[in-house]
Amino acid sequence: MTQRNLKIAVPKGSLFNDTVALLGEAGLDTTGLENPGRHLIISNPGVDFIIVRPTDAPVFTTYGGADCGICGKDTLVEADLDVLEMVDLKYGYCRFVVAEPEAAAGKAEASYARLGVRRVATKYPRITRSYYEGKGVQVDIIKMHGNIELGPIVGMADRIVDITATGTTLRENHLRVVSEVLGSTARFIANPAAVRTDPRVIELASRLEELTRDNDVTMS
Amino acid sequence: MIPKTPRGFRDVLPTEAAWRLSIKEAINERFKLWGYLPVETPAVELLDVLEMGGELSNTPFRFFDSDNDLLVLRPDVTLPVARMTALRLDGHAGPFRLCYAQHVFTENDSTYGQDRQVMQAGIEFIGRRGAVADAEVLCLLFEALEATGIEDFTVAIGTVGVLNALVSEASDDPAWAAQVFAAFHSSDLVAVDRLASDKRAKPIYAEAISKLARIRGGEEAFEQCRSLVVPLGCEDGLDDLQRTYELVTANAESGKLMVDFSIISSFDYYTGMVFRAFAPDVPAALASGGRYDHTLESFGRDEPAAGFAIVIEQVMQALEAQGVLPPHVGPEQEITCDDANEMFARAKELRREGKRVVLGGGSR
Repeated sequence: MTQRNLKIAVPKGSLFNDTVALLGEAGLDTTGLENPGRHLIISNPGVDFIIVRPTDAPVFTTYGGADCGICGKDTLVEADLDVLEMVDLKYGYCRFVVAEPEAAAGKAEASYARLGVRRVATKYPRITRSYYEGKGVQVDIIKMHGNIELGPIVGMADRIVDITATGTTLRENHLRVVSEVLGSTARFIANPAAVRTDPRVIELASRLEELTRDNDVTMS
Repeated sequence: MIPKTPRGFRDVLPTEAAWRLSIKEAINERFKLWGYLPVETPAVELLDVLEMGGELSNTPFRFFDSDNDLLVLRPDVTLPVARMTALRLDGHAGPFRLCYAQHVFTENDSTYGQDRQVMQAGIEFIGRRGAVADAEVLCLLFEALEATGIEDFTVAIGTVGVLNALVSEASDDPAWAAQVFAAFHSSDLVAVDRLASDKRAKPIYAEAISKLARIRGGEEAFEQCRSLVVPLGCEDGLDDLQRTYELVTANAESGKLMVDFSIISSFDYYTGMVFRAFAPDVPAALASGGRYDHTLESFGRDEPAAGFAIVIEQVMQALEAQGVLPPHVGPEQEITCDDANEMFARAKELRREGKRVVLGGGSR
């Protein structure tokens, strides 16, 4: 019986180029993956690359759409699905921060003193909730899908929890970082059944671990 | 209004229902041949009572009844059987070999949108400890999975003994220990590594924890593990696990057994071996189980115990993945006859021969 292709979830977006390069270095045939055009799946001998939205990589891996995959730690925390997080690939560094408008310094504290609860706008409700729970602070979360910085500007929220690589966007929007929530890098993840039934997953994990062991954390 | 079922619950139509029944019967036959006796526990339990045995997390259904008691739809069967054994089998000497096939009701954030009711067929072996008892539980799991018709499955085993020993030697900081266990529970090996280089822990033990999480394989995995933990005096449970491994590999006829210390997860009540069974192309575990020697004690009776539960829905997915089709369930014959008495008599005759017969005629 010929073995079916190994299915790997590859994230689109900022992690894509580093991911393709690393998979190639690990010895996989990445022909056609650099420029997939409109293709959703690139099939090469022995491997199927499934090109997914970064937030969907854990979903594909949990439900068997892929045997393994690559995605940011932030997506893993936000998805909270049953996957094995096997290797820190060190690229794609970004951090989650709490920020507030520079002009509104002190306003958030006053609002908290009055309400006893922080009003926070974010695209990442789970990360936000677990951060504030860890600090023992009550929080009202306003889930948004983009332009989070508008939340405090129009007064819906006092602060935001958002992702930033260099801080440029925050500065451009006159937001100042109040505290750090979480640092995130790309991770190699695997389905729990695939790890135990398909030796190719472990082999790939060890190759990726060797390739990235001595790397420093970098931004994409 | 659409006459639908609640989210996560579904009706099972005849073809699938007959298939499920035949799988349950095949499993139950193995349980019976090993001397396990069937029990039933209530669908609802008193929340406070069940929580005596362990922390309940994935319980979507909690409600008050008209007595104002806080009830929970059972999220697993191990705790109810432990409760039952402590309460109802008081005065009877063990060991007890008990089996069941019951629905359980679970849900957590990561399974939102999935089934909230699944059928578990499992056993609890209460009153014996040691490698022979552990091997009995595992051999029975192998036989039961084989009896369902699954051709290729892997059971991954580990022991919490080694991890517990390493963690307690590594640090006095309970917060650090809790984070290590949480990282194992969520299969986050990257976090295990990070915690291993944490200054709250003694490096030599902490590094061993990070290596332990990646020990995986056959017989040779025991040597790897020994060379790691014996010099540290943390080999708790390892001899038993190896003896169990040898007994099972010598006696199980199909399936694979592998050592995998990253398997330690999900339930906090396990005290020794833990295991989960997987099949290729089935994304979730077919079965899971382990040893829980302190659970009965918390219900007032000090007995060691071990057991497992097979999830029927996952077994069916494994069978479908290997191309098995549901068995034909229709009647073999239809009898029609103008004389109704004769029709009943002829049908009765055929049924004596074991044929499935339906009566014709009638009007609608």
